[in-house]
Amino acid sequence: MFAARPVQAVESTSRPWSGSDLAGIQEDEMPLHFKSFRTRLLVLFLGLLAIVQIAAFLIVNTATTNSARRQIDSALVTTAESFRELLKERTGSLLVAARLLSGDFAFKKAYSTHEHETILSALNNHRHRIGADMMFLVGMDEVTIADTLHPDQHGNAFPYSDLITTAEENEYGEAATVQLVDGRPVQMVVVPLLTPTPDAWICVGFNIDNRMAQGLKEISNSEISFVARTNRGRWMSAASTLPEQDIPDLKTALERNVWQANASTIFSQSGEHYVSLVVPLEKSANQVLAVLQRSLDLALAPSRQLSLVLAGLFALGIFLSALAAIAIARRVTQPVLTLVKGAHRVRDGDFEHPVAINQQDELGELANSFNTMMTGLAERDRVRDLLGKVVSMEIADELLSKDIELGGEEREVTILFSDVRNFTKMCENRSPQEVLSILNAYLTRVSSVIESQGGVVDKFIGDAVMSLFGAPLSHADDASRALRTATGMCAALKALNREFREQGKPELSIGIGINTAVVVAGNMGSQTRLNYTVIGDGVNLASRLEGLTKYYGVPVVVSADTRSAAPEFLYRELDLVCVKGKTAPVTIYQPVVCDPGEESETIAEIEEHHLCLRFYRDRNWDAAIEGFTALAGKHPEDHLYQLYLKRLEQLRASPPPADWEGVFTFSEK
Amino acid sequence: MRWPRFSFAVVAVFLADTGAAANVQVKVVDHKGEPLQYAVIALNYSGASGKAGRPDRRAMDQIDKEFVPHVLVVEKGTPVYFPNKDDIRHHVYSFSKPKEFELPLYKGTPAKPVVFDKTGEVKLGCNIHDWMLGYIYVVDTPYFAVTDASGKAVVANVPAGTATVTLWHPRMNEKSEKTDRKLSLTVDQTASLNYQIKVRKEYRVRRAPRAGGRKY
Repeated sequence: MFAARPVQAVESTSRPWSGSDLAGIQEDEMPLHFKSFRTRLLVLFLGLLAIVQIAAFLIVNTATTNSARRQIDSALVTTAESFRELLKERTGSLLVAARLLSGDFAFKKAYSTHEHETILSALNNHRHRIGADMMFLVGMDEVTIADTLHPDQHGNAFPYSDLITTAEENEYGEAATVQLVDGRPVQMVVVPLLTPTPDAWICVGFNIDNRMAQGLKEISNSEISFVARTNRGRWMSAASTLPEQDIPDLKTALERNVWQANASTIFSQSGEHYVSLVVPLEKSANQVLAVLQRSLDLALAPSRQLSLVLAGLFALGIFLSALAAIAIARRVTQPVLTLVKGAHRVRDGDFEHPVAINQQDELGELANSFNTMMTGLAERDRVRDLLGKVVSMEIADELLSKDIELGGEEREVTILFSDVRNFTKMCENRSPQEVLSILNAYLTRVSSVIESQGGVVDKFIGDAVMSLFGAPLSHADDASRALRTATGMCAALKALNREFREQGKPELSIGIGINTAVVVAGNMGSQTRLNYTVIGDGVNLASRLEGLTKYYGVPVVVSADTRSAAPEFLYRELDLVCVKGKTAPVTIYQPVVCDPGEESETIAEIEEHHLCLRFYRDRNWDAAIEGFTALAGKHPEDHLYQLYLKRLEQLRASPPPADWEGVFTFSEK
Repeated sequence: MRWPRFSFAVVAVFLADTGAAANVQVKVVDHKGEPLQYAVIALNYSGASGKAGRPDRRAMDQIDKEFVPHVLVVEKGTPVYFPNKDDIRHHVYSFSKPKEFELPLYKGTPAKPVVFDKTGEVKLGCNIHDWMLGYIYVVDTPYFAVTDASGKAVVANVPAGTATVTLWHPRMNEKSEKTDRKLSLTVDQTASLNYQIKVRKEYRVRRAPRAGGRKY
């Protein structure tokens, strides 16, 4: 029903309202669909109303027009009937007047003189008596004896012989017709002059003129026009009650031949619509028509007024509907916009300001739910913050993301253990606050390194830190992350030690053990108290490896599993060991960080070291000693070479049993 | 009136009848063959007329607002009285050429008769009763008769010899109808003449109603 144009019109007219109504809600931020929602509401309201109103208007209009047309039709039919009766009566009166003359003895006497002048003046005398417009006396041979219209003419053939013919067929010798006399319609009657037998015809004519039309109009309350057909087949108005300017239109309408006799048609005359009934006059051979008309516009005037009232109501209805639609749209959009703002605040982490919508409807409920949700989110955020401080943020998220229940899952994890060497000794002679301060500073730094690599601090055990890579969140490069963390921790410690030196605090050194293994990760503890951690041999091994750093004099020891999980690093094999509590030997490595430009030299030394290790395991003590001695000579600070030289000296002195495979067994942690 | 001309047969039967005057009987019908009443048949002899002297007085009565008889045939010079037998007045008039006269409203019988001294048709009317119509037909012979309702008439005791027979009817067109005939009559002969003539249409005239039915 509605094309794009009206919709646009509605939208454009709605703009001025939007400015004032929603000014406080930062229109620029309003999402587009709210605008269209309001527009849709407007279009729907107004569209429905318009459809109903237009339909009602059309129905009423059609009904009133039809009813007016029917009323006029029936009035015209009645008018036509009474019109015919009137004409008949008038004819009767004319005949009576003519008969009086036909029996008038004085006239008969005048006639018997056969003097033209006498007869003519007697005719005129009688014509004035009855108010006729013309009289003729015609002989039985149809020769005009006297003619009041043309007093000089007599002795000619009577021009309206068909009138006489009609009279001759009548038993009384009488006739009444509508005759065109000099092109104008005349109601004419003829009776015989009785002397006492018919001796001549007396014709009496009455013009059909405006006076007659006016008289008929007063009786019938309709406009009446008499039109006569001219010789050329056109219509000529003989008499009419219509205004002068309507006559040409009437003639045009008649000449268009759209009318039927005695059926109503609508003629448009000077812009006014007339319901018209064309009544051919009897006995005029269809040469004269009476056109009865009533103005349709005049009849519709009261309903036009009604239409005007309806149009006013329509406009008022549209206006009120628009207001209602805007009010409803506002009642909906304003709370929605408030909610949107609230949601934006929540997104930005502001849980302090609940949305204020004081409505008892669905939107009010929505706002309450929103506020409840916001309280819940604030609570959760607080819990998460707190939890994140107690456990790591990732674990806090893991705990919050699902129901907390005991139990775990197997997954591959890289465990990194770090420990401050000689911490106990350092604690001596220091106040606990100072120790705690030093420890906190240290733990804060290493924690941040761990977290920056995506690792999770599982727990602090005094000065030791256990951290996980691969639980609760796993990455493809968890082992690498652990190794980068170890490097980062060493670098962070170096920076911290510089600060400590400046502050007069003791410098710290740490050992780091890294192992990659499949362990059980999950919540452990009791139903009421639990924590998220990992459990398994791999965890213990990582702790043992950390313990080996001091023995080998290296900062970081990793297992063979970790090495193969992070192969992109450079490693130096340290030993094949059997740690306490384990029977299977483990190859341990030290990740090596090269200074830039010394890569090839470092790699060569590591190759050399690995060759010496092979000599050592092949019981080629002398070659091994020679190699290690060379290495120790180059790097006297490297404790590992001294360690192997010492061990080789002992082995050379007392060679191991035959089943020795180069495994070094630790009997303590 | 434009009546077409039509031919008609005249059958004259001559019967031998000596020692007495002749008779002429006629039958007149209209163009439809219907018997025609009020047709006047008259025999004119050239030379001296059969009867001499002043004709007898005649009367045209007015009874029940009608002329009685409807057609009265008189010999030229006949005085005619107009006795009014009704209890109201009548106003008898004639605008006919042979005798224009007027008897203004009167009761009883006017003392003076009207003398009809010219031949021809005299239409009688009453000024106050439009429907009243009567004819006096003036002939120049004593030998005449008027047809009855069966269209028949007999002119009795006419002299033998050659006569011109004329026929007249109120509604015939005298100009177009040629009805004059020569007839040779012998003594005691009874001649029969048949006529068929065309008559004009008779227009009705409204008559005031009266008790006992309508008559025009």
